[in-house]
Amino acid sequence: MKWHLPKLLLVLALLLSVACDSTGNARTAAGGGASASASSTPESTTSTSNLLVAGDSLRFVEHSENLAAGFPSSIKPVAIKNPHEGDKNAIATGGKLFIAYNCLDCHGAEGSGAMGPSFQDGRWHFGGSPAEVFESIYQGRPDGMPAWGGRITNDQIWMLTAYVRSLSSKDMSTENFTGKTVERTGH
Amino acid sequence: MRLVQKMEPRHQITFFAIFAIVACSGTAGKDGTNDSVSAEPQATSTAATGASPLTGARIAVAHAGPAGEWQMPAGDYASSRYSELSSITPQNAANLRVAWAFSTGVLRGHEGQPLVIGNTMYVVTPYPNVSYAIDLAQVGQPLKWKFRPANAQQAIGRACCDVVNRGAAYADGKIFYNLLDGHTIAVDAASGTQVWRTKMGDLSRGETITMAPIVVKGKVIVGSSGGEMGVRGWIAALDAATGKEIWRAYNIGPDKDVKVGAKFKPFYAHDRGKDLGVSSWPGDTWKTGGGAVWGWISYDPALNLIYHGTSNPGPWNENQRAGDNKWTAAILARDADTGEMVWAFQVTPHDMWDYDAVSENILVDLPIKGQTRKALVHFDRNGFAYTIDRATGQVILAEPFVPMNWSTGIDLATGRPKVVETKKTAQDKNITDICPSLEGGKNQQPAAFSPQTGLFYVPTNNLCMDFQARAVTYIAGTPFIGGNAPEKGGPGGYRGEFIAWDATTGRKVWGIKEPYPVWGGALATAGGVVFYGTLDGWFKAVDARNGKVLWQFKVGSGVVGNPVTYTGPDGKQYVAIYAGIGGDMGLLIAGDVAANLPYDVRERGTTLPDISRWTSWGGELFVFSL
Repeated sequence: MKWHLPKLLLVLALLLSVACDSTGNARTAAGGGASASASSTPESTTSTSNLLVAGDSLRFVEHSENLAAGFPSSIKPVAIKNPHEGDKNAIATGGKLFIAYNCLDCHGAEGSGAMGPSFQDGRWHFGGSPAEVFESIYQGRPDGMPAWGGRITNDQIWMLTAYVRSLSSKDMSTENFTGKTVERTGH
Repeated sequence: MRLVQKMEPRHQITFFAIFAIVACSGTAGKDGTNDSVSAEPQATSTAATGASPLTGARIAVAHAGPAGEWQMPAGDYASSRYSELSSITPQNAANLRVAWAFSTGVLRGHEGQPLVIGNTMYVVTPYPNVSYAIDLAQVGQPLKWKFRPANAQQAIGRACCDVVNRGAAYADGKIFYNLLDGHTIAVDAASGTQVWRTKMGDLSRGETITMAPIVVKGKVIVGSSGGEMGVRGWIAALDAATGKEIWRAYNIGPDKDVKVGAKFKPFYAHDRGKDLGVSSWPGDTWKTGGGAVWGWISYDPALNLIYHGTSNPGPWNENQRAGDNKWTAAILARDADTGEMVWAFQVTPHDMWDYDAVSENILVDLPIKGQTRKALVHFDRNGFAYTIDRATGQVILAEPFVPMNWSTGIDLATGRPKVVETKKTAQDKNITDICPSLEGGKNQQPAAFSPQTGLFYVPTNNLCMDFQARAVTYIAGTPFIGGNAPEKGGPGGYRGEFIAWDATTGRKVWGIKEPYPVWGGALATAGGVVFYGTLDGWFKAVDARNGKVLWQFKVGSGVVGNPVTYTGPDGKQYVAIYAGIGGDMGLLIAGDVAANLPYDVRERGTTLPDISRWTSWGGELFVFSL
């Protein structure tokens, strides 16, 4: 396990620059209700990346596999893409945000699992698509995952999404007690 | 109420005769840093060293209720975990067998212990903190009731170290316990209906509750968890009849909040002064400084004092909180009626290794240098065993009870540790090979004391760590840690040891080395048998005099709970223990033992690389008898 040595000032500067360049979002909840933290601002739509283009009836998750074939659906499928998916720079920034926002201390170093679940196992409680991961971060989850929507910028959430998804690559189905081990920290 | 209340056979005369021989042969040996490896349990036999005679030792407070019951988390106010029952002896312990078992229906770490009142056993599970009343008087042990409290799901992700609960307290026909989401509740012991429910903690700020309350003179004493979440720790008293909060004392902050006033008379000069709970912190950092009360509470009726420890300061990164950080990592004595602080002893001032001081404080009168001292014995996470005057807070002696290297000893003139410079942690530095690790020489697993042998029976860890501190920002409801501390086995090739300790001299008498940290508690009995369980799932009975393993049984999951003993309706002595690996050691360190969720599979942890080969999670009560 590698240990990151974040330079807090660098990260803060980065956060500020990101916040100033915050990207757009058609989700009306993003700007309402939740108050912004000191290092981020509520967002307004910008032209740099209109990530969510579905209009006001956007649904992040459509489990069409649960519908009978030919079931009439009023939901227009919308392809939601992470503008940063696979972008190494964004993933690296997401990794720094992962530390800066204390995600690491819940989900473990490099997402190996701690108080919160692992991100290395390729398995997802609430779905692993970019949109689903975005939603988990944005609105939180019932087991104690905080809601970050409105507290940090959507662009940061997308970078965190890219980072978290980049960790998920291992097949841990079998444990035969000869494989490698990971360093873990207790409390 | 009890169908049969049969007197237990007594073997005390025989036992004392045997003990006298052992005591005279002088088995005490100073062995805090013993690196020797032994596959077999062994008694450390060194030459007689003039140890004080121990037969004058006695527990400060008598066992609560009849000897055959277990009415309090630790059996008594003194936290001795000692029972007068004596049917199970070194001669017959090999005949122990499972009498019955009960699945709690809950996975995750089963710390704590059941209670036995009359012919009913009371069990509290980890989150969702279901409680069960089990009828011991009927074949098959049917339930009298079960209670499923409302308990916010959000709490699961706000608890640092698994969703444990360390047990209930009983008084006046009510069972009192804490919910992970920060409530304290009272449940009618006869009917299982909720009598009252009081919100004590704020989840949005990371406050959960995991500790076992005690009831003192009609007050339920509870404290907060959340030392890893930037809480400001507190201890509080509720009216047992109504649930109304009577007093609350913070462990950090202005004297008024901390309840420091006219009664406060700390033994050491550096602990005297105004508002030390503020001035020993930079700026406002005291407001998020930790100092939680997630461990055990003791009570001395003669002095009318309660004793509790406080957790680590937050964050771990010491660079963000210059100063002593009072009153974190401390033992505090408070007036049981008002919560006013009477004395304070900061075990690890300006802690930078996550050495919480929440271990139980065992209240025993001990013969030391020809005098009987009102002692408080405390096995701290920092690796030192302290024998303290419980009336004044003076450290009588402090010696290492596990391998350690961060300090060369305790300065008895000040009570402060002499810290090794090269083991001081620092921001953006990787300080290597610090012993003990942040799990401590001992953690939540409580020790026991036997007045027959005068010895303390202590489950210990033998782990070391590298410590990498980093800057961290406080964000309410998220961890406030600022550090990473990968752990490894300590010197000697074993990771835990169950030891017998002489607190009058500060010496280990014998030890049983274990492959894993001994994360379950101890029970001492008048039969001369001591019980404990291991992380890999062995429940053991050992001879109190020499540590010989008399019997062991592999239970269904690793043991992180504490044994209790009681007399059943049939007059027989029973011993009960939870199986159910978890807690910090099971969930965080092992990781993979709890990785059966389809959406959360984890790799093996380097610290305990093959523990998951020997056990997996599962909550079950096991009950044994002859």
